[in-house]
Amino acid sequence: MVKQESESANRPDNTAFTQQRLPAWQPILSAGIVIPGFVLIGLAFIGIGVALLVTSRSIQVLELDYTGDSNGSPCSSCSQSVIANCKCSLNFTLTTLFQGPVFFYYGLSNYFQNYRRYGASKDDNQLYGDLSSFTSPSSSCSPYNYDSSKKPIVPCGSIANSMFNDTFTLTRTVNGTTNNVTLDGKGIAWWTDYNIKYRNPSVTPLKNAFNGTVKPINWAKPAYELDASDPSNNGFVNQDFLVWMRRAALPNFRKLYRRIDASGDYQKGLPAGNYTIDITYNYPVRAFNGAKKIVFSNVSWMGGSNEFLGIAYLVIGSLCVVMSVVMLIVYAKFKFPDEE
Amino acid sequence: MVNESAESGFTWEVRANSRHYHKPKQKKSFLCFRWGRSADNVVRSYKYTPLTFLPLTLFEQFQRAANVYYLLILVLQCVPAISSVPWYITIIPLISILSLRGLKDLSNDMARRRSDSEINSRPCDILISQSFQMKKWKDVCVGDVLRIHKDQVFPADLLLLCSSEPHSLCYVETADIDGETNLKYRQALSATHEDLTSNPSEEALSSFDGVVRCEEPNNRLYTFRGQLQWRGEGLLLDSEHILLRGTVLRNTTFAYGLAIYTGADTKILRNSGKVKLKRTQMEKVFNKVVMGIVLCVLLAALFLAIGSGVFSAQLMRQNSVLSALVFNSNAVYTGFLIYWSYIILLSPAMPIALYISFELVHTVHSLFIGWDLEMYWQQADKPAQARNTSLNEELGQVGYLLSDKTGTLTQNRLLVRQCCIAGEIYGDASVGAEDVEPMDLSWNPFSCGGLFMSAPALVDRLRGNQCPLSRQFLTALALCHTVMTEWKKQTPVYQAASPDEEALVGAARELGWVFLSRARDFIVVSELGVTRRYQLLALLDFTSQRRRMSVLVREPEGGIKLYCKGADIVILERLQKDSPHQERTERALELFAEACLRTLCVAVRSVPEASWEQWNKTLAQSATMVTCDRDALLEKLYDEMEMDLQLLGVTAIEDRLQDGVPETIALLQEAGIKVWVLTGDKKETAVNIGYSCKLLDPDSRIVEWDELRQILQSPDPRVSFFKPRQTELWAVDKEMAVAKTSVVLTGPELTEFDQRPEWGATFMSLAEHCQSVLCCRVTPAQKAEIVTLVRKHTSSVTMSIGDGANDVNMIKTAHVGVGLAGVEGGQAVQNADFALAQFRFLQRLLLVHGRWSYRRISLFLRYFLFKTCSFALVHLWFGFFNGFSAQIILLTRHWTKFNIAAVIVSVGLFFICTRITHNRFLFEQSPKEYIFLGASDYAFTDPVVWLTALLVAWTAVLPSVTAHALSVILNAHDKHKVHSVSHQSVELRSHFRRGTPLRRSSYAVSQGAGSGRHITSATHMRK
Repeated sequence: MVKQESESANRPDNTAFTQQRLPAWQPILSAGIVIPGFVLIGLAFIGIGVALLVTSRSIQVLELDYTGDSNGSPCSSCSQSVIANCKCSLNFTLTTLFQGPVFFYYGLSNYFQNYRRYGASKDDNQLYGDLSSFTSPSSSCSPYNYDSSKKPIVPCGSIANSMFNDTFTLTRTVNGTTNNVTLDGKGIAWWTDYNIKYRNPSVTPLKNAFNGTVKPINWAKPAYELDASDPSNNGFVNQDFLVWMRRAALPNFRKLYRRIDASGDYQKGLPAGNYTIDITYNYPVRAFNGAKKIVFSNVSWMGGSNEFLGIAYLVIGSLCVVMSVVMLIVYAKFKFPDEE
Repeated sequence: MVNESAESGFTWEVRANSRHYHKPKQKKSFLCFRWGRSADNVVRSYKYTPLTFLPLTLFEQFQRAANVYYLLILVLQCVPAISSVPWYITIIPLISILSLRGLKDLSNDMARRRSDSEINSRPCDILISQSFQMKKWKDVCVGDVLRIHKDQVFPADLLLLCSSEPHSLCYVETADIDGETNLKYRQALSATHEDLTSNPSEEALSSFDGVVRCEEPNNRLYTFRGQLQWRGEGLLLDSEHILLRGTVLRNTTFAYGLAIYTGADTKILRNSGKVKLKRTQMEKVFNKVVMGIVLCVLLAALFLAIGSGVFSAQLMRQNSVLSALVFNSNAVYTGFLIYWSYIILLSPAMPIALYISFELVHTVHSLFIGWDLEMYWQQADKPAQARNTSLNEELGQVGYLLSDKTGTLTQNRLLVRQCCIAGEIYGDASVGAEDVEPMDLSWNPFSCGGLFMSAPALVDRLRGNQCPLSRQFLTALALCHTVMTEWKKQTPVYQAASPDEEALVGAARELGWVFLSRARDFIVVSELGVTRRYQLLALLDFTSQRRRMSVLVREPEGGIKLYCKGADIVILERLQKDSPHQERTERALELFAEACLRTLCVAVRSVPEASWEQWNKTLAQSATMVTCDRDALLEKLYDEMEMDLQLLGVTAIEDRLQDGVPETIALLQEAGIKVWVLTGDKKETAVNIGYSCKLLDPDSRIVEWDELRQILQSPDPRVSFFKPRQTELWAVDKEMAVAKTSVVLTGPELTEFDQRPEWGATFMSLAEHCQSVLCCRVTPAQKAEIVTLVRKHTSSVTMSIGDGANDVNMIKTAHVGVGLAGVEGGQAVQNADFALAQFRFLQRLLLVHGRWSYRRISLFLRYFLFKTCSFALVHLWFGFFNGFSAQIILLTRHWTKFNIAAVIVSVGLFFICTRITHNRFLFEQSPKEYIFLGASDYAFTDPVVWLTALLVAWTAVLPSVTAHALSVILNAHDKHKVHSVSHQSVELRSHFRRGTPLRRSSYAVSQGAGSGRHITSATHMRK
């Protein structure tokens, strides 16, 4: 017995794996499988597409353009002036309840936040609270790393410098009295941005950390004074700042501005009525044919409104069905006589 | 003297016993400098030394286009201005592929070193200072005198000085050189024989001071020209005096030789060709694809760079944040930089990960080949082995199989299976040799087995003394041969020059006619226990023209008999008129031929005393005549003697094929693979084997050289090639007729191809239509030339299979080389890409593993191209949305994850899921399925491929196009509504933003008043 074993020491193992006998499935793509398969896939896709489309259509979206490039529109004067903090207001009426929770976005179009060198123009160490980067910002921020007097800019770079700085308040007029609609600005940024990527330097008061630095060229206030009402919402962890720093992937985008606080009259959303948005108009977009808008929207299980996905599913689904019909015709024409 | 030798071309000088003279002349090398003349006897098949490993392996690897491309990309990535992707994204896969590949080459090289050192340290006796010392092969130096023992392999090409046998004869087996299994004899010059054997040998040998002048080392195995200068005499030397490296000394206790050529200068190593880096067809296709992809990437980058230039130019016109980011405020310069950035960004379109995955798949597949139980040979405990792990998919593409004969197709064992005596057939060939019931031969003290014929009737007749013809038949077998005996343990052991004779004499021994011994003029035979001594009067030797041999003996009773055996045609025409049993014997011959047995006719003649004396006198006269006349006269004399024969019977010998050879060949031929046989053996043997292994059909036409030459010389070779067949079988359609044609060539005839290179293409175009081609008596170098011929004139993949040193060259030359490691692991295996234990395993290797490998690799390649192209196309498309700024769409770490996942998932998937078919025996049922030869050639010329690509692209774009179209139609009427939002109440409506046309008339980002001032100052600051 022992001898026999040594004689066949090189004998390969007889296992399903080594002998390539593992169970495997090999579809044989005959007409009998392909045509019904196509029909099934097509029907499934059409089903998904319809569901997506219906959901998407059920999402309420209200878009209000306030660029003011046409005369007579509310913000046209502001868009042409160069005065800082120009005020204009926009009225709109809701005839039905705007189902909550309602999100308040600002939208920009033709704005290339995805331009590579724009995206690279920031200093991650600085934004992480590294004080050495405060005094010598990374060259990736160039030309927005030092101002004309060679003082370091904090936060440096093109993204920070171009931060959106229009502000909005929403009021509702009921029976002639005007009430402010409470807007909630907490937790509108990404969790990772707020907790991991961005951090204020551990210096109190925060202002001291910025000694010897200057604010970005286009900013009206330094970073540590972004939110006067809430001291903890300042510096690099300011929610609006974080939302802006998270770059949009496409040139037409919208960013979350606030949530409608679901309390009091607004528990179910925005009730029907007349509303006014007061805009502090700062951000110029006409130079590059851009547009600014305010968007109200609610969400569903599939997120925000996206009709494209539903359409894509529908198109592919119907294509499958059409192709299965074509194949059936071809099959009937060429295959059946053979079998007889 | 020197002049003379130079004139005759003898420029190679060897002085016996003078190491001090030859040592400094040995070849040495340092780095790439080489000097010295003669090679030492060290085999160096390895490629790398510690010093050269790194540069060599890098050089080899950067011959791959993709690796160079990736290196360039890596260099580009180190330039910060254009680096769109961090540098480590490329360097990690590049380094890993380089090191993986390098390690693999290194381990292969280590294996070669090990086998080299095994060969180099084989023992041999070298004469050093008057005594033979046990040394190693690598110590042999030109001019050394060596002592070779029986059954040892010669370590170098030697000049035979003397041997232990009379007349300094010695026997060598040249199977490793030319595939012939019969023993050949070599004889020393009588001068050296006499002087070196008379005295005590070691002293005489160490004082031997001859000088050999001969030709430079060359690869001609069968010729040698030289001169031995000794004691003022010039003795001519030819190949009869030379013992070649790789041959084995047989039947000779020891032989003394003078080393003339050593190591790389020896004839067999000169014949073995160079190690070439083998690359698969798939890899060539892949390289082409890589070129195409690079070109596409460059074009796409150019296009995007132009877009970027335009975009930048428009930015410049605006005061915006972005415009500050335009390099040097110069749109063209920005475009230029973006061009390189895009080349980097799009570089993953070139799948470097594929190389890693290729290696992985190849390695796993090689393991599968080694693991296959159906290619494991229990008897020798040898599994199949993929020595070169990168050629697996080539197995699925083989179009030409070029096979050696001896040891590959045949087992090199000859068995007497049947005989026909006096018209009576004994034995049954339809029973396999192993299944033959052994006869009871206990009455015969000399019997030692080895007879695979069951004929109790014959034994009864012999022992019962019933049939004088059968007794004579066996007497003939016991007498008419050139076998020698050697007594070992009271039994004679036969040593034959021809394996056929050995088999026949052995069969006679089993049946009671035992050939006991031979002396110069008598033969002793024991006939059923009675020892008889026959006087040997003359031996009429075998030549390939005569195709017969005879002995003339005087029986103990005094009568003179001529026993003759030979090919059936020659014997039958020399029979007496109205010979009895002739008709039945001829029928038996046909029967044996159908069973693919090799037949010999045996005949006898009683010679009257008077005619013998007369004949002998003439023979003695002719012996003194001039050479060429003598040969003709001898032939005539022999003819006169071999007349009026009386037919005794026919022997039928089976040249044992390896197991399953005919089935395998039939299956491979059915699968569309052309099987050729290249052998060093005789034409008759090769053709016979061709028939027995079903390579040739009994009714196929055999075209030999004369006919072929006429065809090749004719203005339209194809027509003349097909013509004879068409007239013969006008009803059968042309293709069928041609398929039954085979070509048989011999080595000397093949040399004509060298002079007429234009015949090569014509020959191959004809051979493509032939059933098979047999090349006989070819040297190892010619075998390789034939492989090269096939490779040159067809696009097919060639595979060589062989087992001996004579096959090494063709194994190296073919696309895929297979070495048979059946009984003994040989040099063939060392140089082969795959090692098998049995020829029949080829069907599984080719039809199952080859096919699976090829399909898997093809699917794999397709998947990878899909993956990488989709990745690049997404970036191309995204370029339109990000101002052509070479922005990556995924975060870099996600990109790496994506790649790794793609590699791992795909490798896994392709091994688990893409079993081509679960039916393991499909190949046996429909070997035709194997043919999708050269599918890769059609990969880019087939319109279906491009149609598919177009359809896929269209399907991919369709949803987007539809969505756009819908939004245009649905939103057309309220397009301006958004912009003209007024004091009026706004109706709630669903969002349909997708459709908003992108306004690309202008691009920018801007903010705040007076940013222009800052920008200008900022740009100003930037220095």
